[in-house]
Amino acid sequence: MMDDFFFSLLLAGISVGAVYALIALGLNLTFWTTKTMNFGQGSLMMLCAMLTVFLSSQGLAMALAVFGSLLVVAAFGVFIERWTVRPALQASGGSMGWVVSTLGFGIFLQGVAAKYFGSQAVAFPDVVFTAQDFVTVFGQYVSLQYLVVLAVAVALILALELFVRKTVWGQAVHAVSLDPELALVQGIPVRRLVLGSFMLSSALAGVAGVLIAQIGGTVDPAFGFDLVLLGFVAAVLGGMGSSMGALAGGLLVGIISKLVGGYVSTAAEHGIAFALLMMALALRPQGLFGKAEVSKA
Amino acid sequence: MNRLRAFLSALVADWRLQALLVLALLLGAPLLSPGTVQIASFVLIAAIFAQSINLLTGLAGQISLGHAGFFGIGAYCTGALVKTHGLDVTLGVPLAVLLAGVAGWLLSFPAKRVRDVYLAMMTLGFGMVFFEVVREWNSVTGGTMGLPGVPSAALRTLSILGVKVDGLAYFQLLLLITAGTMLMVRNLTQSRIGRAFYAIHISEIAAGSIGIPAGATKQLAYALSGALAGLAGALYAHLVGYLGPESFALPRSIEVLVIAIVGGLGSIAGQVLSATLFTFLPERLQVFAEWQFIAYGLILTFSLIILPKGIGGLLFEPPRFIRPRARARAAMLRADAAMLRPADQGAALEAERITMRFGGLVAVDDVSLRLEPGRITALVGPNGSGKSTLVNVITGIYRPSAGRVRFAGRDITGLADHQVAAAGVVRTFQDPRLVPHFTVRENLLLGAHRQLRHSGVAAVLALPGATAEEAQQLALVEAVLALADLTAMADRPIDTLPYGTRRMAEVGRALLARPQVILLDEPAAGLSEPEMERLTQLIRDMKAMGLAILLIDHHMDFLADLVDDVVVLDSGRMIYRGDIAGMRGDAQVIAAYLGDEAAHA
Amino acid sequence: MLELQGLTVRYGAVQALEDVSLQAGAGGITAILGANGAGKSSLMRAVSGIAPVTAGRILLDGQDITALPAAERARLGIAHAMEGRRLFRQLTVEDNLKLAWSFGARKLPLATALAQTYERFPILQEKARIAAGLLSGGQQQMVILSCTTIRSPRCLLLDEPSLGLAPIIVQQIYAFITDYAARSGIIVVIAEQMAALALRVSSHGLVLRRGRAVLQGSSAELLHGHDGKTLAATYL
Repeated sequence: MMDDFFFSLLLAGISVGAVYALIALGLNLTFWTTKTMNFGQGSLMMLCAMLTVFLSSQGLAMALAVFGSLLVVAAFGVFIERWTVRPALQASGGSMGWVVSTLGFGIFLQGVAAKYFGSQAVAFPDVVFTAQDFVTVFGQYVSLQYLVVLAVAVALILALELFVRKTVWGQAVHAVSLDPELALVQGIPVRRLVLGSFMLSSALAGVAGVLIAQIGGTVDPAFGFDLVLLGFVAAVLGGMGSSMGALAGGLLVGIISKLVGGYVSTAAEHGIAFALLMMALALRPQGLFGKAEVSKA
Repeated sequence: MNRLRAFLSALVADWRLQALLVLALLLGAPLLSPGTVQIASFVLIAAIFAQSINLLTGLAGQISLGHAGFFGIGAYCTGALVKTHGLDVTLGVPLAVLLAGVAGWLLSFPAKRVRDVYLAMMTLGFGMVFFEVVREWNSVTGGTMGLPGVPSAALRTLSILGVKVDGLAYFQLLLLITAGTMLMVRNLTQSRIGRAFYAIHISEIAAGSIGIPAGATKQLAYALSGALAGLAGALYAHLVGYLGPESFALPRSIEVLVIAIVGGLGSIAGQVLSATLFTFLPERLQVFAEWQFIAYGLILTFSLIILPKGIGGLLFEPPRFIRPRARARAAMLRADAAMLRPADQGAALEAERITMRFGGLVAVDDVSLRLEPGRITALVGPNGSGKSTLVNVITGIYRPSAGRVRFAGRDITGLADHQVAAAGVVRTFQDPRLVPHFTVRENLLLGAHRQLRHSGVAAVLALPGATAEEAQQLALVEAVLALADLTAMADRPIDTLPYGTRRMAEVGRALLARPQVILLDEPAAGLSEPEMERLTQLIRDMKAMGLAILLIDHHMDFLADLVDDVVVLDSGRMIYRGDIAGMRGDAQVIAAYLGDEAAHA
Repeated sequence: MLELQGLTVRYGAVQALEDVSLQAGAGGITAILGANGAGKSSLMRAVSGIAPVTAGRILLDGQDITALPAAERARLGIAHAMEGRRLFRQLTVEDNLKLAWSFGARKLPLATALAQTYERFPILQEKARIAAGLLSGGQQQMVILSCTTIRSPRCLLLDEPSLGLAPIIVQQIYAFITDYAARSGIIVVIAEQMAALALRVSSHGLVLRRGRAVLQGSSAELLHGHDGKTLAATYL
């Protein structure tokens, strides 16, 4: 008989872990097409969750609220690519201007959200089920919300994996990550793919935000900022560029951090994730499934 | 605009004006209200903090998104040591600086192995985790309640070595410390360390070819930057007297980034202006304080795109990397190019039975080569014959699948590229790997990097010994400039000069690394006739100095009068070794280049 | 016909091509010759759109394509096999072929295109599911040739197809090229350092030296005639 506490932590860890994997995938996507990552990804997560709260409070049906928020966030993805990443890549001042630009935009969104929605945490409504709904599995109480979150995250991850492996557009994305010039010369519309990758990456961030908010119950402007780090750790642990790796890494981070958080201190959750990152970089920088994409550019 | 810039730069760099300004502030401070003095103190602290970013990002090209962590380490370290353990401030602050520096060193440990963006993420994580550790570690930091009671100037509880220090005196002390720090940062920029930082920022491979190890250099940058930020934090602690976690969270990291970027990465004066601006604004403009986060976000998003060089770039000329005093000294020295002659003659380089395989492809197949001092050997062959691969093996970029490389009695096979360069085997690249914003002189001086043996401390403090050594190398640079006919454009940024000039500069830079063996990869590519003549002369001079020279090239007329013997490769194998005249008539060589029919045409 | 008018390509301060004019007609092969660094690759990159054109014009069958982006030109029918045997090495042979087939117009159904490829190069069918990077040099070149021809392009640019290959494989490759050129009747441009090789299969050629066109004429002239001696001299 498993300890109830342990089991609930495990389940929580698996659920959030799957969401971290989603975040990792979002980061991976733009990394594939442009070798950049949105350091303000967390703010997109927050924005999607906040907009969902706002829209549903205005009377919109939950599904529409979520969908509408995703659209907004995807639109921001386009903006980010066009106005913060692309100009930074083209500017001659150094290759990392985009880190500051994307971070800055994330800060900007956070500031706007604080101004407009207030800096207090707001309750996140139930999208599916309620926090009290549960099923019994092997005598343990399992929150339905956690299960749904897990299911959605895993479904999206598998969908993305299939997309990249099986569809032509997915193959094209892979091709661009390997040799953008060669892709161009074969007629692959690289620019469109880049835009699409940013839109999809932002949408994934939005979904991740909604899912985390659902589990956590509240959302505030600073929410999400630290999640980009957790997503990154998941990506590194699993291996940059591997979807299955992202899932493995995410689960690992999620479970370990929740267990540490439960048995030691909730404040140690980020600390342990960071420690995992340091360990991974020290011992195996390419992660579990990654190919050594870790040499300097 | 350029004249205004030149004027302002000269103004700001004039030490008399600097001294005057410091003196004026020192003496004028008592006339200001205590409130103003305190804000001015914050400006100074912000200026030091901004310098830490300037060093890391402006010079070394690394990004830190969690610098509040180092700031906080400095603050809490001195706070705890002085308040809780009774250490004197004169001990607390330096220890805090040391600890912060060590933290920077440790944090950047993956620098050798991963992309810079990983390091950026680590700094983000570091900032986050530091904040949480501070909130939890009650015994040391007071947790969320904070750490009150740190001896503070503002609260008049501060005494240094038994002497009471109030707000005014602290400001004056800060002034001196800030001035000293700025001076040291400027000395660092103009030293071999600053040049090395900038080199790895712009081109890691070029830096490696001179013997500058990228990973270790980045770690040094993070360590120094951490230490500077720690200093700012420690000084902050003894100003405010109360340390709460909120002061060391993300907004602090964002703020220092904004100050540094708006000030202009690379510009010390710009940073001071920016620190002043962003310290006064929130104080004077309440509305600014409300919109601060939004404003900072927008600034960070667009400033590097719209105004990449910041205020500093607008008002001042770009910083230079050679100390004027060293230059002045060098002008008094007489250097002769003959001084570049290798110390011990007679070291030959032997490549024995080198084979290089990439997967299923054999790029180099059992090739042996010997380079003798005072001889010029050409390595030729059709495209894809393995010439560049062979040179890459010799210089340590690849480890050969089979075979050995021996030099001066040592087996240098498999050594890293910067180690091979350090051993005396230097190469140039097909496309000149020079540092774009450096002048010709600075680029050449970078070649002498390994010859500068003085310590970092000596460099930062601009000790006479360091200056003397730099002057010596600068004199040699002057000699090489003359040799390569580059004196006229020595102080122009290399990216404004024509291709032929850059080629010459790259060869010159390789010379300053005091090689015994030099490998030139297609030095004549893209050169005009007169440029090729100058290059030929330079190579002849190098031969006369006793260097062993390997030339890869395709321009046979360029090679004809120059080389002593030639080695021809085809599909990875050596198909001819001998003199050029013989090569021209050799049927195998002709077949290799033009195909069988042309051989018998 | 592919026409270059006064083409100039500059990378920063490096003059890669200067004022080069050329007419490459359909139904025959045109050779671009020259030592390494002469500008052969720059010429091809300018035509396929990945090198920026500083001055001059590029016309494909009368249409000015100078301003068109590279992906656009590929879809119009310009196929470029870049120097260095560029492939997606981590993708399988079949995936490489599928990808090359997927973006652009004028194609046979995929199944037919693949069948044709495998018929022409049976070894590729054997290796269809193997990562392209694991194939031998000659096999990789077969993949590249198949990829560039899979959508029946209007203009085929081949940059040093013989590079690093054993003579017998080179023969095979060139057999394919000449056969394809004759059957399809499209514009084929081959850049080679191995002058004789390219001149043997082409109808006329252009010799580049340091970015400028120094010799031009029929292949026979370039190879055998008085110019034959000058040809060797431009290299050696």
